[in-house]
Amino acid sequence: MYVYTCKSDYDSMLSCIYEAWASGKGHKNIKLCVEPVEQFGLFDEYIHVDADESKAEKVSSAVWHKISPQVYWEISYALLSFEEDALDIVYRLLILGFHFGPKVLDMVQYREVIRFREIRKLVSREAHSFREFLRFYCVNDNLYVAHFEPRSRVLMPVASYFTERMPSENWMIIDDTHREAIVHPKDEECYLRILTEEETKALLATEQEDYYSRLWRNYFRTMGISQRENRACQNNHFPLWMRKHVTEFRETEA
Amino acid sequence: MYTIRTGMTTEEKLEILADAAKYDVACTSSGVDRKGQKGMLGNCSAPGICHTFASDGRCISLLKILMTNHCIYDCKYCINRYSNDVPRAAFTPEEICELTIEFYKRNYIEGLFLSSGIVKSPGHTMELMCRVLYKLRTEYKFNGYIHIKAIPGVPDELIAKAGYLADRVSINMEFAVEDSLKKFAPNKNFKTIMNPMEKISDTIALHRLACGKDARMERSAGNRYLENSIFNVKRLEERGFGRKELPVSFANGDLRRSFAPAGQSTQMIIGAGNETDYELLQTTQKLYQNYDLKRVFYSAYVPLNEDSVLPAIGTPVPLLREHRLYQADWLLRYYGFQADELLTEEKPDFNEQLDPKCDWALRHLNLFPVEIMKASFELLLRVPGIGPTSAKRIVQSRRYGTLNYEQLKKMGVVLKRAHYFITCGGKMMYKVPIEEQYITKELTVVNRKENWEIVHRNQYHQMSLFDDYAIG
Repeated sequence: MYVYTCKSDYDSMLSCIYEAWASGKGHKNIKLCVEPVEQFGLFDEYIHVDADESKAEKVSSAVWHKISPQVYWEISYALLSFEEDALDIVYRLLILGFHFGPKVLDMVQYREVIRFREIRKLVSREAHSFREFLRFYCVNDNLYVAHFEPRSRVLMPVASYFTERMPSENWMIIDDTHREAIVHPKDEECYLRILTEEETKALLATEQEDYYSRLWRNYFRTMGISQRENRACQNNHFPLWMRKHVTEFRETEA
Repeated sequence: MYTIRTGMTTEEKLEILADAAKYDVACTSSGVDRKGQKGMLGNCSAPGICHTFASDGRCISLLKILMTNHCIYDCKYCINRYSNDVPRAAFTPEEICELTIEFYKRNYIEGLFLSSGIVKSPGHTMELMCRVLYKLRTEYKFNGYIHIKAIPGVPDELIAKAGYLADRVSINMEFAVEDSLKKFAPNKNFKTIMNPMEKISDTIALHRLACGKDARMERSAGNRYLENSIFNVKRLEERGFGRKELPVSFANGDLRRSFAPAGQSTQMIIGAGNETDYELLQTTQKLYQNYDLKRVFYSAYVPLNEDSVLPAIGTPVPLLREHRLYQADWLLRYYGFQADELLTEEKPDFNEQLDPKCDWALRHLNLFPVEIMKASFELLLRVPGIGPTSAKRIVQSRRYGTLNYEQLKKMGVVLKRAHYFITCGGKMMYKVPIEEQYITKELTVVNRKENWEIVHRNQYHQMSLFDDYAIG
């Protein structure tokens, strides 16, 4: 088995797909994997692929023109996933896609397609959850800062929602897992910034309680009807791992 | 009589007025898509966004508060009735606006849900509420979701004003039969509730027509075209609730603005009066068909007041009954069922042991088992364990090849319920007799755990060293 590995950014992953495809080793004998590889197989050969813009471009244009733009969007979304097999499944889907055309997404008889749809759904669900559960903290009265720790790289889809929601505010969303931030100055376009270690540390101090966060905590406590208490339902809807930066669930120092 | 305490802080007021508003059920922010604009704050997304979940598992999506809990009415079931001695407070319009804006910017909420006790008169109260909304929309440039509770018995102009400012307008019906309403809410009557409801529904339809939309609200895509559905276009036309024509005089620009774009909703109390489930469900269906309501909510009555006509304090909240009604409501809105298929006058209450869909299927065993590869979408939807999503997936994927049970499971079909009612490639999953008694017994076992949990949610819990003995 030949295992093609690459870094976890978008261009690297597409280049990896290109290299694996072009190797001519036979789809059955190939596996794709994102670095870091957790455990190396005894009988596998590992081939590292570097990002190459032209190869990535070739893959995306082939998918766009030869399968369909929709499939392109679907795979670019699925590649954001943190699931280990995401890259490999995208590769398998493309094999089917080049054979069957755009209808491949409906062909749930293939295990790869079912798994692909699962991965795709997990990413969009995670993005949606963080649209709901992201909490901004007000800094210096005019800047709103939010931290979150997603599993998948959902910063972009989350931030694009907030550009629409608060176009005329200064805000910033920080992905602590992948050390990236989207900065949105008032009435301007937002931009992505890869954070250095120092910046990440400095930004951690922005989660400060203020008057309204206190009001919100009180409000949240009041809203539960004690006669209908149902923690299981609450936990189902609001998973514990997402609560870390959420105002109403944070432990206060006091 | 109560006195108005002065010098109360916003914090105290919020606690009192949120506490008074929490028994209202609807907290949805769904039904309208609106883009954000530069210079304004907020947008709306049609599927709705829940921002957090309270300890009772209900979603908190809007800032749900009363403008004031002073009230001149004495509805027996209500915590804010004038004969109750509870702390009273009233927000100023600025306080409401600022709370909404600041909460919204921090992504705590999706918008405002404003309701109120009745001060002086219904008209006066409604006018104050409209003033708050006007301030919020113009001065504070708020573009998010607003749900306003209209008060029965107010002049039409005020309802119209509310409709232009808010996304959803709702009037609480509280009871499905007039007798109960008379008994429990002596100051209200059906006429003052149904009258504005009808007017709002007509006005919404006119504005929708003027904007180039269909007169009736959007419904789940599948359900609109099902033969038997309550929203079936042909059926509605036969009953005289079909297409409305835009009157010539209205075809000017004035109507081309949105009026309560997310429609209207209502709420009924379960377990305080003595309505049967049959009456409640029939009323629900009529409200959907005749008034084109977007949603009907049910609220299991939580005993709060001591009153000889009401269940005593400490009576268990009828959560299972509420759950069954919501299940039936979904069957009406998404599965193409009619109210009289689920319940009849002779059998007016839901089966506690089984959900309404299983119950229906067991009474119609002659239709089953159905073949997955051939059955129509309509029939697939009626199989217990298959919902709109999995039915759609089945229909889409069977074009490209045969399906087996493993694939069905992967598609989201709940086989523990469905396998009694389907065949796949001509075979049933296990060898089971199609007998009503046998399947009923089996399905009751499947449902038992779920039902028990709903009823006994608060009484027992898993012991934990950390919570029960404060270790750690």
